[in-house]
Amino acid sequence: MSKKKVTEDTFGSSYKKLEVILAQLETEIEDHSLEEIIEKYQEAINLLKVCRKKLDEAELKIEKLSTEQEN
Amino acid sequence: MNSPLSVSELSRDIKNTIERNFSYIYVKGEISNFKNHSSGHFYFSLKDSKSQISAVMWNSRVKDLIFTPEDGMNVLIKGRITLYETRGSYQIDVFEILPSGVGELQIAFEKLKNKLYEEGLFDDRYKKPLPLYPERIALITSETGAAFHDFIKVTENRYPLVKILLIPALMQGANSAVSICNAIIKANSSEYRSDIIVITRGGGAIEDLWTFNEEKVARAIFNSKIPVVSAIGHEVDFTISDFTADKRAPTPSAAAEMIFPDAYDLKLRLNVSENNLKRHIYYRINKLKNELNSIERNYYFKRPADLINEFRMNIDSIERDIKSVTERKIRNVKNNIDTSRKLLNSLNPENVLKRGFAIIKREDKIITQSRQLKTKDEIQIKFSDGQSDAIIK
Repeated sequence: MSKKKVTEDTFGSSYKKLEVILAQLETEIEDHSLEEIIEKYQEAINLLKVCRKKLDEAELKIEKLSTEQEN
Repeated sequence: MNSPLSVSELSRDIKNTIERNFSYIYVKGEISNFKNHSSGHFYFSLKDSKSQISAVMWNSRVKDLIFTPEDGMNVLIKGRITLYETRGSYQIDVFEILPSGVGELQIAFEKLKNKLYEEGLFDDRYKKPLPLYPERIALITSETGAAFHDFIKVTENRYPLVKILLIPALMQGANSAVSICNAIIKANSSEYRSDIIVITRGGGAIEDLWTFNEEKVARAIFNSKIPVVSAIGHEVDFTISDFTADKRAPTPSAAAEMIFPDAYDLKLRLNVSENNLKRHIYYRINKLKNELNSIERNYYFKRPADLINEFRMNIDSIERDIKSVTERKIRNVKNNIDTSRKLLNSLNPENVLKRGFAIIKREDKIITQSRQLKTKDEIQIKFSDGQSDAIIK
Protein backbone atom coordinates (compact mmCIF):
# COMPACT_ATOMS: atom_id res chain seq x y z
CA MET A 1 0.00 0.00 0.00
CA SER A 2 1.35 3.37 -0.96
CA LYS A 3 1.78 6.16 1.56
CA LYS A 4 -0.28 8.51 -0.52
CA LYS A 5 -3.41 6.41 -0.27
CA VAL A 6 -3.19 6.28 3.52
CA THR A 7 -3.02 10.05 3.88
CA GLU A 8 -6.12 10.48 1.73
CA ASP A 9 -8.18 8.48 4.19
CA THR A 10 -10.18 9.96 7.02
CA PHE A 11 -9.28 9.66 10.66
CA GLY A 12 -12.05 7.14 11.23
CA SER A 13 -11.07 4.82 8.38
CA SER A 14 -7.36 5.04 9.24
CA TYR A 15 -8.04 4.33 12.89
CA LYS A 16 -10.24 1.36 12.04
CA LYS A 17 -7.53 -0.06 9.74
CA LEU A 18 -5.02 0.35 12.53
CA GLU A 19 -7.28 -1.54 14.93
CA VAL A 20 -7.68 -4.35 12.38
CA ILE A 21 -3.92 -4.71 11.97
CA LEU A 22 -3.38 -4.71 15.73
CA ALA A 23 -6.02 -7.38 16.16
CA GLN A 24 -4.34 -9.46 13.43
CA LEU A 25 -0.93 -9.13 15.03
CA GLU A 26 -2.43 -10.10 18.35
CA THR A 27 -4.31 -13.19 17.26
CA GLU A 28 -2.85 -14.40 13.97
CA ILE A 29 0.79 -13.53 14.39
CA GLU A 30 1.83 -17.17 13.93
CA ASP A 31 -0.04 -17.39 10.61
CA HIS A 32 2.00 -14.76 8.83
CA SER A 33 5.51 -14.78 7.53
CA LEU A 34 8.04 -12.35 8.96
CA GLU A 35 7.89 -10.35 5.74
CA GLU A 36 4.12 -10.02 5.99
CA ILE A 37 4.37 -8.98 9.62
CA ILE A 38 6.96 -6.36 8.88
CA GLU A 39 4.80 -5.06 6.06
CA LYS A 40 1.84 -4.84 8.44
CA TYR A 41 3.99 -3.18 11.04
CA GLN A 42 5.08 -0.52 8.56
CA GLU A 43 1.52 0.05 7.47
CA ALA A 44 0.43 0.40 11.09
CA ILE A 45 3.22 2.89 11.80
CA ASN A 46 2.08 4.90 8.78
CA LEU A 47 -1.52 4.81 9.97
CA LEU A 48 -0.45 5.97 13.43
CA LYS A 49 1.33 8.87 11.83
CA VAL A 50 -1.73 9.76 9.76
CA CYS A 51 -4.07 9.57 12.76
CA ARG A 52 -1.81 11.73 14.92
CA LYS A 53 -1.38 14.25 12.14
CA LYS A 54 -5.13 14.48 11.65
CA LEU A 55 -5.76 14.96 15.35
CA ASP A 56 -3.02 17.57 15.70
CA GLU A 57 -3.90 19.56 12.63
CA ALA A 58 -7.67 19.37 12.82
CA GLU A 59 -9.58 22.60 12.68
CA LEU A 60 -13.34 22.66 13.00
CA LYS A 61 -15.00 23.55 9.71
CA ILE A 62 -18.47 25.03 9.72
CA GLU A 63 -20.36 25.53 6.52
CA LYS A 64 -23.69 27.28 6.53
CA LEU A 65 -26.46 26.19 4.24
CA SER A 66 -28.55 29.09 3.11
CA THR A 67 -32.26 28.42 3.44
CA GLU A 68 -35.35 30.28 2.46
CA GLN A 69 -36.43 30.06 6.10
CA GLU A 70 -34.02 32.77 7.13
CA ASN A 71 -35.38 36.16 7.87
CA MET B 1 -87.75 61.18 8.10
CA ASN B 2 -84.26 61.25 6.71
CA SER B 3 -83.54 59.91 3.31
CA PRO B 4 -82.72 56.15 3.38
CA LEU B 5 -79.17 54.89 3.75
CA SER B 6 -77.53 52.90 1.09
CA VAL B 7 -76.44 49.35 2.00
CA SER B 8 -72.85 50.47 1.90
CA GLU B 9 -73.56 53.38 4.23
CA LEU B 10 -75.37 51.12 6.68
CA SER B 11 -72.60 48.57 6.51
CA ARG B 12 -70.03 51.28 7.16
CA ASP B 13 -72.00 52.49 10.21
CA ILE B 14 -72.28 48.96 11.61
CA LYS B 15 -68.64 48.32 10.90
CA ASN B 16 -67.61 51.47 12.75
CA THR B 17 -69.85 50.73 15.72
CA ILE B 18 -68.78 47.13 16.05
CA GLU B 19 -65.10 47.65 15.45
CA ARG B 20 -64.95 50.51 17.94
CA ASN B 21 -66.66 48.44 20.64
CA PHE B 22 -64.77 45.20 19.96
CA SER B 23 -61.33 46.58 19.13
CA TYR B 24 -59.74 44.28 21.70
CA ILE B 25 -61.37 41.05 22.74
CA TYR B 26 -60.23 38.12 24.83
CA VAL B 27 -62.32 35.06 24.20
CA LYS B 28 -62.19 31.32 24.92
CA GLY B 29 -63.63 28.54 22.84
CA GLU B 30 -62.98 25.41 20.83
CA ILE B 31 -61.37 25.43 17.40
CA SER B 32 -63.32 23.82 14.56
CA ASN B 33 -63.10 23.73 10.76
CA PHE B 34 -59.44 24.63 10.99
CA LYS B 35 -57.81 25.38 7.60
CA ASN B 36 -54.18 26.24 7.02
CA HIS B 37 -54.45 28.06 3.69
CA SER B 38 -51.58 27.92 1.21
CA SER B 39 -51.18 31.67 1.64
CA GLY B 40 -50.16 30.96 5.24
CA HIS B 41 -53.33 32.45 6.74
CA PHE B 42 -55.29 30.32 9.22
CA TYR B 43 -59.07 30.14 8.87
CA PHE B 44 -61.26 28.48 11.49
CA SER B 45 -64.33 28.82 13.68
CA LEU B 46 -64.32 29.39 17.39
CA LYS B 47 -67.27 27.75 19.06
CA ASP B 48 -68.85 26.71 22.28
CA SER B 49 -71.96 24.58 22.86
CA LYS B 50 -74.36 27.22 21.56
CA SER B 51 -72.60 29.59 19.15
CA GLN B 52 -69.76 30.00 16.74
CA ILE B 53 -67.80 32.87 15.20
CA SER B 54 -65.53 32.80 12.16
CA ALA B 55 -61.90 33.65 12.77
CA VAL B 56 -58.88 34.44 10.68
CA MET B 57 -55.23 34.68 11.63
CA TRP B 58 -53.04 36.41 9.04
CA ASN B 59 -49.75 34.81 8.16
CA SER B 60 -47.79 37.76 9.57
CA ARG B 61 -49.01 36.72 13.03
CA VAL B 62 -49.03 32.98 12.46
CA LYS B 63 -45.27 32.87 12.74
CA ASP B 64 -45.44 33.82 16.42
CA LEU B 65 -47.68 30.90 17.30
CA ILE B 66 -46.18 28.36 19.64
CA PHE B 67 -48.11 25.46 18.18
CA THR B 68 -50.22 24.48 15.22
CA PRO B 69 -53.89 24.74 16.16
CA GLU B 70 -56.08 21.69 15.60
CA ASP B 71 -59.78 21.03 15.59
CA GLY B 72 -61.10 20.33 19.06
CA MET B 73 -58.43 22.34 20.85
CA ASN B 74 -59.64 24.63 23.61
CA VAL B 75 -57.92 27.95 23.24
CA LEU B 76 -57.80 31.51 24.43
CA ILE B 77 -57.80 34.09 21.69
CA LYS B 78 -56.76 37.70 21.71
CA GLY B 79 -57.97 39.74 18.78
CA ARG B 80 -60.63 42.11 17.54
CA ILE B 81 -63.86 41.93 15.59
CA THR B 82 -63.82 43.10 11.99
CA LEU B 83 -66.72 43.36 9.60
CA TYR B 84 -66.35 42.21 6.04
CA GLU B 85 -68.58 44.63 4.20
CA THR B 86 -68.73 42.77 0.89
CA ARG B 87 -70.46 39.84 2.56
CA GLY B 88 -71.92 41.55 5.55
CA SER B 89 -70.23 39.07 7.84
CA TYR B 90 -68.05 39.58 10.87
CA GLN B 91 -65.14 37.63 12.13
CA ILE B 92 -62.43 37.58 14.75
CA ASP B 93 -59.14 39.00 13.52
CA VAL B 94 -56.85 36.88 15.70
CA PHE B 95 -53.70 38.42 17.19
CA GLU B 96 -52.69 35.49 19.34
CA ILE B 97 -53.84 31.96 20.15
CA LEU B 98 -52.91 30.44 23.47
CA PRO B 99 -53.74 27.01 24.74
CA SER B 100 -56.46 27.53 27.33
CA GLY B 101 -54.16 26.01 29.92
CA VAL B 102 -51.06 23.87 30.33
CA GLY B 103 -53.55 21.05 30.75
CA GLU B 104 -54.57 21.48 27.14
CA LEU B 105 -50.98 21.11 25.90
CA GLN B 106 -50.44 18.18 28.21
CA ILE B 107 -53.48 16.40 26.78
CA ALA B 108 -52.28 17.03 23.22
CA PHE B 109 -48.83 15.75 24.22
CA GLU B 110 -50.16 12.54 25.77
CA LYS B 111 -52.53 11.96 22.88
CA LEU B 112 -49.80 12.21 20.26
CA LYS B 113 -47.34 10.27 22.37
CA ASN B 114 -49.77 7.36 22.74
CA LYS B 115 -50.64 7.43 19.07
CA LEU B 116 -47.03 7.31 17.88
CA TYR B 117 -46.16 4.74 20.54
CA GLU B 118 -48.97 2.50 19.28
CA GLU B 119 -47.62 2.91 15.75
CA GLY B 120 -44.22 1.75 16.97
CA LEU B 121 -42.36 4.94 16.19
CA PHE B 122 -40.48 4.76 19.49
CA ASP B 123 -39.40 1.12 19.04
CA ASP B 124 -35.77 0.35 19.69
CA ARG B 125 -35.56 -1.72 16.53
CA TYR B 126 -35.85 1.48 14.47
CA LYS B 127 -33.04 3.22 16.33
CA LYS B 128 -30.06 3.66 14.06
CA PRO B 129 -26.60 3.41 15.60
CA LEU B 130 -24.34 6.47 15.45
CA PRO B 131 -21.06 6.11 13.55
CA LEU B 132 -18.03 6.04 15.85
CA TYR B 133 -16.00 8.63 13.98
CA PRO B 134 -18.42 10.96 12.18
CA GLU B 135 -16.89 13.01 9.41
CA ARG B 136 -19.77 15.32 8.63
CA ILE B 137 -22.76 16.25 10.66
CA ALA B 138 -25.75 18.37 9.80
CA LEU B 139 -26.66 20.76 12.60
CA ILE B 140 -30.23 21.99 12.60
CA THR B 141 -30.62 24.90 14.96
CA SER B 142 -30.98 28.63 15.16
CA GLU B 143 -27.59 30.15 14.51
CA THR B 144 -28.27 32.92 16.99
CA GLY B 145 -29.20 30.54 19.78
CA ALA B 146 -27.05 29.60 22.76
CA ALA B 147 -27.47 25.94 21.80
CA PHE B 148 -25.50 26.50 18.59
CA HIS B 149 -22.60 28.11 20.44
CA ASP B 150 -22.56 25.47 23.19
CA PHE B 151 -22.55 22.68 20.67
CA ILE B 152 -19.78 24.24 18.56
CA LYS B 153 -17.64 24.98 21.61
CA VAL B 154 -17.71 21.41 22.88
CA THR B 155 -17.15 20.02 19.37
CA GLU B 156 -14.15 22.26 18.83
CA ASN B 157 -12.53 21.04 22.05
CA ARG B 158 -13.47 17.46 21.62
CA TYR B 159 -13.32 16.50 17.97
CA PRO B 160 -12.32 19.30 15.61
CA LEU B 161 -11.90 16.76 12.78
CA VAL B 162 -15.56 16.93 11.97
CA LYS B 163 -17.15 19.12 9.35
CA ILE B 164 -20.36 20.80 10.44
CA LEU B 165 -23.05 21.75 8.01
CA LEU B 166 -25.24 24.31 9.71
CA ILE B 167 -28.82 24.28 8.48
CA PRO B 168 -30.49 27.28 10.09
CA ALA B 169 -34.10 26.72 11.09
CA LEU B 170 -36.76 28.36 13.20
CA MET B 171 -36.77 26.64 16.56
CA GLN B 172 -40.05 27.99 17.89
CA GLY B 173 -43.30 29.45 16.65
CA ALA B 174 -45.96 28.03 14.35
CA ASN B 175 -43.68 28.09 11.30
CA SER B 176 -40.88 26.27 13.06
CA ALA B 177 -42.39 22.83 12.42
CA VAL B 178 -42.24 23.29 8.65
CA SER B 179 -38.83 24.91 8.90
CA ILE B 180 -37.42 21.97 10.89
CA CYS B 181 -39.03 19.38 8.60
CA ASN B 182 -37.50 21.07 5.55
CA ALA B 183 -34.12 21.19 7.24
CA ILE B 184 -34.31 17.45 7.99
CA ILE B 185 -35.12 16.72 4.35
CA LYS B 186 -32.19 18.91 3.23
CA ALA B 187 -29.82 17.23 5.64
CA ASN B 188 -30.82 13.89 4.15
CA SER B 189 -29.93 15.01 0.65
CA SER B 190 -27.13 12.84 -0.68
CA GLU B 191 -24.96 15.77 -1.77
CA TYR B 192 -24.10 16.59 1.87
CA ARG B 193 -23.25 13.01 2.88
CA SER B 194 -24.02 13.77 6.51
CA ASP B 195 -23.28 11.00 9.01
CA ILE B 196 -25.53 12.34 11.75
CA ILE B 197 -28.22 15.00 12.05
CA VAL B 198 -28.29 17.00 15.27
CA ILE B 199 -31.37 19.02 16.12
CA THR B 200 -30.84 21.28 19.06
CA ARG B 201 -32.16 24.30 20.89
CA GLY B 202 -31.79 25.63 24.38
CA GLY B 203 -34.27 25.49 27.19
CA GLY B 204 -37.48 27.47 27.41
CA ALA B 205 -41.06 27.38 28.53
CA ILE B 206 -43.14 24.38 27.45
CA GLU B 207 -44.72 26.60 24.80
CA ASP B 208 -41.29 27.44 23.35
CA LEU B 209 -40.45 23.77 22.93
CA TRP B 210 -43.87 22.92 21.59
CA THR B 211 -42.87 22.50 17.98
CA PHE B 212 -40.95 19.35 19.03
CA ASN B 213 -44.23 17.91 20.27
CA GLU B 214 -45.81 18.29 16.87
CA GLU B 215 -46.61 15.24 14.86
CA LYS B 216 -44.96 16.35 11.62
CA VAL B 217 -41.66 17.10 13.34
CA ALA B 218 -41.70 13.81 15.22
CA ARG B 219 -42.44 11.96 11.97
CA ALA B 220 -39.83 13.84 9.95
CA ILE B 221 -37.25 12.79 12.54
CA PHE B 222 -38.47 9.21 12.46
CA ASN B 223 -38.37 9.15 8.65
CA SER B 224 -34.82 10.47 8.40
CA LYS B 225 -32.47 7.95 6.76
CA ILE B 226 -29.56 9.50 8.62
CA PRO B 227 -29.50 8.96 12.39
CA VAL B 228 -30.93 11.90 14.31
CA VAL B 229 -29.80 13.11 17.71
CA SER B 230 -32.24 15.45 19.41
CA ALA B 231 -31.06 17.80 22.13
CA ILE B 232 -34.00 19.95 23.04
CA GLY B 233 -34.14 22.18 26.08
CA HIS B 234 -32.79 21.09 29.43
CA GLU B 235 -32.33 17.73 31.04
CA VAL B 236 -35.89 17.67 32.39
CA ASP B 237 -37.53 18.51 29.08
CA PHE B 238 -38.76 15.51 27.17
CA THR B 239 -40.44 16.08 23.83
CA ILE B 240 -42.07 13.66 21.43
CA SER B 241 -39.24 14.34 18.98
CA ASP B 242 -36.87 12.97 21.62
CA PHE B 243 -38.77 9.69 21.50
CA THR B 244 -38.65 9.34 17.71
CA ALA B 245 -35.01 10.45 17.45
CA ASP B 246 -32.34 7.74 17.32
CA LYS B 247 -30.66 9.25 20.38
CA ARG B 248 -31.71 11.92 22.86
CA ALA B 249 -29.17 14.16 24.50
CA PRO B 250 -30.19 16.13 27.60
CA THR B 251 -28.48 19.35 26.44
CA PRO B 252 -26.69 20.71 23.34
CA SER B 253 -23.28 20.23 25.01
CA ALA B 254 -24.18 16.70 26.01
CA ALA B 255 -25.11 16.01 22.38
CA ALA B 256 -21.60 16.93 21.25
CA GLU B 257 -20.11 14.75 24.00
CA MET B 258 -22.33 11.86 23.01
CA ILE B 259 -21.59 12.05 19.30
CA PHE B 260 -17.87 12.71 19.18
CA PRO B 261 -14.96 10.76 20.61
CA ASP B 262 -12.56 12.88 22.64
CA ALA B 263 -9.43 13.72 20.65
CA TYR B 264 -7.39 13.62 23.87
CA ASP B 265 -8.52 10.05 24.58
CA LEU B 266 -7.83 9.14 20.98
CA LYS B 267 -4.24 10.37 21.31
CA LEU B 268 -3.78 8.24 24.42
CA ARG B 269 -5.29 5.28 22.61
CA LEU B 270 -2.89 5.82 19.71
CA ASN B 271 0.01 5.66 22.20
CA VAL B 272 -1.33 2.41 23.59
CA SER B 273 -1.75 1.09 20.06
CA GLU B 274 1.83 1.97 19.23
CA ASN B 275 3.11 0.20 22.35
CA ASN B 276 1.07 -2.89 21.56
CA LEU B 277 2.24 -2.83 17.98
CA LYS B 278 5.90 -2.71 19.03
CA ARG B 279 5.36 -5.35 21.67
CA HIS B 280 3.84 -7.73 19.10
CA ILE B 281 6.53 -7.23 16.53
CA TYR B 282 9.37 -7.56 19.08
CA TYR B 283 7.76 -10.68 20.47
CA ARG B 284 7.60 -12.21 17.03
CA ILE B 285 11.15 -11.22 16.11
CA ASN B 286 12.51 -12.48 19.43
CA LYS B 287 10.69 -15.73 18.95
CA LEU B 288 12.26 -16.19 15.52
CA LYS B 289 15.69 -15.31 16.95
CA ASN B 290 15.25 -17.92 19.66
CA GLU B 291 14.32 -20.50 17.05
CA LEU B 292 17.47 -19.67 15.07
CA ASN B 293 19.57 -19.90 18.24
CA SER B 294 18.17 -23.27 19.15
CA ILE B 295 18.89 -24.58 15.66
CA GLU B 296 22.41 -23.24 15.93
CA ARG B 297 22.90 -24.97 19.27
CA ASN B 298 21.81 -28.25 17.75
CA TYR B 299 24.24 -31.26 18.19
CA TYR B 300 24.97 -31.64 14.50
CA PHE B 301 25.88 -28.03 14.01
CA LYS B 302 28.52 -28.50 16.68
CA ARG B 303 29.94 -31.81 15.21
CA PRO B 304 29.34 -31.86 11.47
CA ALA B 305 31.71 -34.86 11.08
CA ASP B 306 29.36 -36.98 13.13
CA LEU B 307 26.64 -36.23 10.72
CA ILE B 308 28.79 -37.32 7.80
CA ASN B 309 29.80 -40.50 9.60
CA GLU B 310 26.26 -41.32 10.25
CA PHE B 311 25.48 -40.93 6.58
CA ARG B 312 28.46 -43.11 5.74
CA MET B 313 27.25 -45.86 8.04
CA ASN B 314 23.88 -45.69 6.44
CA ILE B 315 25.40 -46.08 3.02
CA ASP B 316 27.46 -49.08 4.20
CA SER B 317 24.46 -50.81 5.54
CA ILE B 318 22.61 -50.22 2.33
CA GLU B 319 25.56 -51.62 0.39
CA ARG B 320 25.54 -54.73 2.56
CA ASP B 321 21.89 -55.22 1.96
CA ILE B 322 22.33 -54.96 -1.79
CA LYS B 323 25.19 -57.47 -1.72
CA SER B 324 23.36 -60.13 0.26
CA VAL B 325 20.30 -59.86 -1.89
CA THR B 326 22.36 -60.25 -5.06
CA GLU B 327 24.30 -63.24 -3.74
CA ARG B 328 21.16 -65.05 -2.77
CA LYS B 329 19.77 -64.49 -6.23
CA ILE B 330 22.90 -65.92 -7.91
CA ARG B 331 22.87 -68.93 -5.60
CA ASN B 332 19.32 -69.72 -6.57
CA VAL B 333 20.11 -69.56 -10.25
CA LYS B 334 23.11 -71.91 -9.77
CA ASN B 335 20.98 -74.44 -7.94
CA ASN B 336 18.47 -74.42 -10.71
CA ILE B 337 21.18 -75.09 -13.30
CA ASP B 338 22.57 -78.06 -11.28
CA THR B 339 19.18 -79.68 -11.03
CA SER B 340 18.62 -79.29 -14.74
CA ARG B 341 22.03 -80.75 -15.53
CA LYS B 342 21.33 -83.85 -13.38
CA LEU B 343 18.07 -84.41 -15.10
CA LEU B 344 19.67 -84.07 -18.51
CA ASN B 345 22.45 -86.56 -17.54
CA SER B 346 19.96 -89.17 -16.45
CA LEU B 347 18.30 -88.90 -19.81
CA ASN B 348 21.57 -89.11 -21.86
CA PRO B 349 21.56 -92.29 -24.08
CA GLU B 350 25.38 -92.62 -23.73
CA ASN B 351 24.80 -93.73 -20.15
CA VAL B 352 22.54 -96.49 -21.38
CA LEU B 353 25.33 -97.65 -23.71
CA LYS B 354 27.73 -97.77 -20.77
CA ARG B 355 25.45 -100.26 -19.10
CA GLY B 356 25.98 -102.69 -22.08
CA PHE B 357 23.42 -101.62 -24.58
CA ALA B 358 24.33 -100.67 -28.14
CA ILE B 359 22.72 -98.65 -30.88
CA ILE B 360 22.45 -100.15 -34.33
CA LYS B 361 22.33 -97.78 -37.25
CA ARG B 362 22.11 -98.39 -41.00
CA GLU B 363 23.09 -95.50 -43.16
CA ASP B 364 22.85 -93.26 -40.01
CA LYS B 365 19.29 -94.40 -39.28
CA ILE B 366 18.62 -96.12 -35.96
CA ILE B 367 17.29 -99.62 -36.26
CA THR B 368 14.83 -100.54 -33.53
CA GLN B 369 13.34 -103.81 -34.90
CA SER B 370 15.00 -106.96 -36.40
CA ARG B 371 12.69 -107.13 -39.38
CA GLN B 372 14.09 -103.85 -40.59
CA LEU B 373 17.33 -105.74 -41.44
CA LYS B 374 18.07 -108.02 -44.38
CA THR B 375 21.06 -110.28 -45.12
CA LYS B 376 24.11 -108.45 -46.32
CA ASP B 377 23.01 -105.13 -44.81
CA GLU B 378 25.94 -103.12 -43.64
CA ILE B 379 25.34 -101.71 -40.19
CA GLN B 380 27.16 -99.70 -37.62
CA ILE B 381 27.09 -100.70 -33.99
CA LYS B 382 27.58 -97.84 -31.57
CA PHE B 383 29.05 -98.68 -28.19
CA SER B 384 29.83 -96.35 -25.34
CA ASP B 385 33.49 -96.21 -26.30
CA GLY B 386 33.22 -96.26 -30.07
CA GLN B 387 31.71 -97.76 -33.18
CA SER B 388 32.16 -101.06 -35.07
CA ASP B 389 30.96 -101.96 -38.56
CA ALA B 390 29.25 -105.31 -39.23
CA ILE B 391 27.37 -107.19 -41.96
CA ILE B 392 24.21 -109.13 -41.32
CA LYS B 393 24.44 -112.87 -42.16
